[in-house]
Amino acid sequence: MDQAQGSVSGSDLHQLSITVECAHLRSSTLLKPTPYVEIIVDEKTPQKTETVKTNSQPKWNETFTCLVTPHSKILFSVKDHNNFRKDTVIGEKKIDLFTLLFHFNGKCDNLDLTLDLMSDSKQSDAPLKVGELVCSLKGLVVDMSSYVRSNDSLPLGPLGPSNTEGPSNRNVFMNGIKAKLKSQGAENVVPSLSSSSTSSMTSSSRSSTERIEPRRSQVNSVASGPVSVSSSNNSIPNGCIGPPVTVPNGNIVHNETEENRTDNEPLPPGWEMRFDTYGRRYYVDHNTRSTSWERPQPLPPGWEMRRDPRGRVYYVDHNARTTTWQRPNSERLQHYQQWQGQRQHIVSQGNQRFLYPQHQPAPVPGPSVITEEDDGLGPLPAGWERRVQPEGRVYFVNHKNRTTQWEDPRTQGQEISDVEELPLPPGWEIRYTEDNKRYFVDHNTKTTTFDDPRPGAPKGPKGVYGVPRAYERSFKWKISQFRFLCQSNALPSHIKIQVTRQTLFEDSFHTIMRLPAYELRRRLYIIFKGEEGLDYGGISREWFFLVSHEALNPMYCLFEYANKNNYSLQINPASYVNPEHLTYFKFIGRFIAMALYHGRFIYSGFTMPFYKRMLAKKLVMKDIESIDPEFYNSLVWIKENNIDDCGLELFYSVDFEVLGQIVHHELKKNGDKEKVTEENKEEYLTLMTDWRMTRGIEQQTQAFLDGFNEVVPIEWLKYFDERELELLLCGMQEIDVEDWQRHTIYRHYTRSSKPVVWFWQFVKQSDNEKRARLLQFVTGTCRVPVGGFAELMGSNGPQRFCIEKVGKESWLPRSHTCFNRLDLPPYKSYEQLVEKLTYAIEETDTFGQE
Amino acid sequence: MAATRRLQKELGDIRNSGLKSFRDIQVDETNILTWQGLIVPDNPPYNKGAFKIEINFPAEYPFKPPKINFKTKIYHPNIDEKGQVCLPIISAENWKPATKTEQVIQALVALVNEPEPEHPLRGDLAEEYLKDKKKFAKNAEDYTKKHSEKRPAD
Repeated sequence: MDQAQGSVSGSDLHQLSITVECAHLRSSTLLKPTPYVEIIVDEKTPQKTETVKTNSQPKWNETFTCLVTPHSKILFSVKDHNNFRKDTVIGEKKIDLFTLLFHFNGKCDNLDLTLDLMSDSKQSDAPLKVGELVCSLKGLVVDMSSYVRSNDSLPLGPLGPSNTEGPSNRNVFMNGIKAKLKSQGAENVVPSLSSSSTSSMTSSSRSSTERIEPRRSQVNSVASGPVSVSSSNNSIPNGCIGPPVTVPNGNIVHNETEENRTDNEPLPPGWEMRFDTYGRRYYVDHNTRSTSWERPQPLPPGWEMRRDPRGRVYYVDHNARTTTWQRPNSERLQHYQQWQGQRQHIVSQGNQRFLYPQHQPAPVPGPSVITEEDDGLGPLPAGWERRVQPEGRVYFVNHKNRTTQWEDPRTQGQEISDVEELPLPPGWEIRYTEDNKRYFVDHNTKTTTFDDPRPGAPKGPKGVYGVPRAYERSFKWKISQFRFLCQSNALPSHIKIQVTRQTLFEDSFHTIMRLPAYELRRRLYIIFKGEEGLDYGGISREWFFLVSHEALNPMYCLFEYANKNNYSLQINPASYVNPEHLTYFKFIGRFIAMALYHGRFIYSGFTMPFYKRMLAKKLVMKDIESIDPEFYNSLVWIKENNIDDCGLELFYSVDFEVLGQIVHHELKKNGDKEKVTEENKEEYLTLMTDWRMTRGIEQQTQAFLDGFNEVVPIEWLKYFDERELELLLCGMQEIDVEDWQRHTIYRHYTRSSKPVVWFWQFVKQSDNEKRARLLQFVTGTCRVPVGGFAELMGSNGPQRFCIEKVGKESWLPRSHTCFNRLDLPPYKSYEQLVEKLTYAIEETDTFGQE
Repeated sequence: MAATRRLQKELGDIRNSGLKSFRDIQVDETNILTWQGLIVPDNPPYNKGAFKIEINFPAEYPFKPPKINFKTKIYHPNIDEKGQVCLPIISAENWKPATKTEQVIQALVALVNEPEPEHPLRGDLAEEYLKDKKKFAKNAEDYTKKHSEKRPAD
């Protein structure tokens, strides 16, 4: 009660820096304590000093920055650290900032404090003095006139009657606080300033009613002028900032309620509330010279706003000793906490992931296509060069990342289907047998063959790589191809990456960006500072997992979860708030390439559309469904309905909102003037799809791909489809079928319906890869939440795995990844179900595409 | 803005149609994405007053539905204390880009006039509505008299 009042009744938050200097502890036993100090402002998260080993005269000289209101209560608690038991309190003292401020005319600057440390004693009822704590306060200056004026009834001030009139023995066991202004030199002893928990009960319960007063008057004054009287305000030219040009987005309902809740709270320093000509409230942030409709929330405890040398505003979290560019709000803090909560599971998660054991290099693949100078495949990708060995064999050099390979990067990983269009060698002819089987006649030698003589063509049952086609389709084979390329481009020796756990991300960033990219293919030698241990793989496995998890730290604003679905990541369009964001995306590109190259897994994967983008695949409308189902549904509606005469008023232009700003985009030249009609809507839908999948993230994606390509040629990935890429990057995990079955729900089927029974039979008989792919097909990811299938999330919150009866037996199964739903037609037999399901999950392109 | 033309047209149509139950439409010229207006219900107990609402259109309108908020307090099973209202026509599942704001408003007026206690936002009021309609009507009327806006003269 007391604390809650204290935290909101001040006008606004101020910074106070507290230096804990030393303590003199009375040692009652032979054993000396190992003391440290906790500072707790208004019962928020404590800040702690280091411990001083076995010392009753400890010195710390540590400075903390706290956010306080003029009515904050600060508790200093000296504790004894114990390795085996709970730390015990040696002594405590709580100070009431307001009384100090009142006494020193609103100034807590260069103020030395000597606090008597009190401890509950066993011998008597009264707390006992067990020592003294010396500290100093700096940097807090408050204009007291605003408090005193409206607070004329403040009888509990430090010099008020209650203090002097109090029972004389109060001074004895409260022992007061000695306070002295450094600059003045003279000692200003304030007797019994302290409000220990016992005595403040009465005073605060009385004063709390009065303290509401200044707050109210402040809110009233809002209507006529700026709320916060912060020193920085004066320097900002008034009126140069208009009301926000943008409007609140769809979150309005949410914002409204927040506004109501925080209405009575003060604005953070540098903020001002104004009204536009329509009487609507908006908020001016003089710090960043921006405006918003949304009421800013005060910085949470332990946070501070600072400016870098270039004048840009950033925010420091002293609790976690981190910084961020984006002002923290409750939603972001909640995400942050959620993200932090994952940390404890990271390592155990990492140990559960696996892929196939890495095979020995596959046989050297022959050159897939003997290319001529003009081979009709177009130019090589940037950075590539075609070279010929002395004996005439063609190979390819990638100068970007110093790799070589036999295969043509333009056709890598593709089954050459367009070989059909190539001309036959001179003197050859195609004929067909009676049963329409194709064969080839060589008039030069007067022979016939079923094998296509054109280069690159599948030879009989074999595929382009000279191995059976069925095998080429297998994931194992693809991995071995990829691994072969990695091994044949490995570099000797190793690189050291030395990191501190607390600054893991920054350390890793600097090391990786400092090295020439190709060197990142050397063997990795990861060292966690202060931890012994040779890196035989375990440490680098941990490092990849930890760094990839760090990259998701919401405070970095680099990635966001797609569509509330808790697993898959996409680039955050708001990432541009970080001025260095493109360098970070390049770093992450390098890092992901390293993970693939060194065969390590990352904590959390990307969205399927992102993988498709890595593979340079075309994104289609259906891809939007997984990241923005609402938007997708509207596109589908436009596609399926005649849009003439229904007043859509659509033109070839579109908007979206990022960080409170509306970004306008013309889908083509003069698109603002061109109306969308039934006739041209196909083109419109295509352009909209492209835009939706790239809006606000194009530069970031490019930076990521550039970073990737510097380490590993992105063409090497083309063996894989996007689902295989996810498996390759995140690994598989053992899937608990019992748990899966237990948490599955059915629509228009029951647990005992035949197709359902067959479905589970199929799952149980499948290997892990197939199970992972089935899961991927239905949920969009191969990963299972930490808490198992019960915690499966959909686009609108928790969403169990669902099997629904849809369609006829001739249909293929479909999936709705945002609802974790499988549309399973009522198949007539187990064999039929297996066939259709296998086909659906093995083909890349999503079915059920409208 | 991409949504401007559509919204201007809709606004013009609504103003021309002269809806009796939705009046005083106010739209900031510089920001057509926020509308305010007065819901004037016909049915008791809400016909003793009028209720201010705000409609917020997203930048991606009409690909995403608008959101509606009551600015005047109302005693209604489908409208909560914060002014949020659950209207199926603008829910994510039902939204169609061809849905017009006029239809949305008509659906809203119908909901105000005829509460749907089967899908309540305020369970307590829904229960009262179902169990003791008289008491509900009295409470709602008192509440309306106390909190609602003045009804337009005509």
